[in-house]
Amino acid sequence: MHEQSVGTDRVPRYAQEFVNGLHEAAVTLVGTLPESHLKSVYVAIDRDPAIDLVRVSNEAELPGIVAGSYLGGRRALMIMENSGLRQACEPIARFSFAHQVPLVMVVSYRGDFGEANWWGHNHAQVMGPLLEALRIPMKIVDRVDDIKPMLRKAFDHAGASQWPVCLVMTGECTEGGAA
Amino acid sequence: MKRIDAVTVIAEATTTEDLFVSSVGGLIDDWWNLRPGPVDNTMSLSILGSISSTALGLALALPHRRVVALETDGSVLMNLGAVTTLAVQRPRNLTVVVMDNGLYECIGSAPTLTSAGVDLAAIAAGAGCAHAVAVHDELSLAKELAASLAGDDLGYLVARIEPGMESWPEEKRRHTDGIEDKYRFVRYVEQLEGRRIHGGAPHV
Repeated sequence: MHEQSVGTDRVPRYAQEFVNGLHEAAVTLVGTLPESHLKSVYVAIDRDPAIDLVRVSNEAELPGIVAGSYLGGRRALMIMENSGLRQACEPIARFSFAHQVPLVMVVSYRGDFGEANWWGHNHAQVMGPLLEALRIPMKIVDRVDDIKPMLRKAFDHAGASQWPVCLVMTGECTEGGAA
Repeated sequence: MKRIDAVTVIAEATTTEDLFVSSVGGLIDDWWNLRPGPVDNTMSLSILGSISSTALGLALALPHRRVVALETDGSVLMNLGAVTTLAVQRPRNLTVVVMDNGLYECIGSAPTLTSAGVDLAAIAAGAGCAHAVAVHDELSLAKELAASLAGDDLGYLVARIEPGMESWPEEKRRHTDGIEDKYRFVRYVEQLEGRRIHGGAPHV
């Protein structure tokens, strides 16, 4: 059991919707380097017997794990803070431009408007231009009711385009959000 | 033991039912010519540092099928933390073979850090890989590989190889690119598994 799950009995609605969305999208494998904005998502996934959680210690491992799973026909998702895009940038670029392997990624929007941590702002400043440079379509998800349809669309889009997509979670869809 | 010798041992120990994730570089033509069967059973990645991770994802996706990662010392060193994830996940159907020549040979033989004493087998053992061994000749590689392929735990074999690249005639070299390889590999997995991975969407 994930250590973040200790003492966390109540799963917030956004996290439960996220897991429900994974079920509807037939995702059974999640690779992640946990962070704070989506804390309860990791707890909920870890508690779910239908989804295997692979924890890594460097986001650069995640594209390979998700790509390998795709090549074997198993739907997988990678979740990380948006700063992880920078860490994983090289394998993401190569899996997309050199091999056209679809990767579905969810990142938390560290540095969104109202960010109180000085070190978090550079994450937001770099995220948009980086995704644009990688030609990765992205959607910001800030309403809980949008989580399920956006996860489904993300897998449809990535599979049909054979290219990565990115969902950026913020607002209601993060820990302590409004919902 | 040269790389061609190690590749020959791996090819003889495996079948067309197995799947492979390999690095590119000097290894690719050796493996393409000696791999089991004239089938698209190998995803060759241009991504140093992601070979083992991709093999891990493939092994987790297909737990009933043997997966072999054809790694190199340069690739392992680029993302050394990946071996800790391997050790924790320890899929029983995955064998990693690191061909360690201590060199970035195909770009002019600059030394890698294993030539200065870094011990990848010891690192893997320290990470928690229960079956992490270094081998120095074809006989010991064949023995350890057979044990790993038949075993019930992740295998992590570091094959110390001498420098030396095989020279293949032009008609025997691999000329596909990474995108073509992806499609061919996926179609082969579909054939093996009897189910669709990519496609199925309407054309109109």
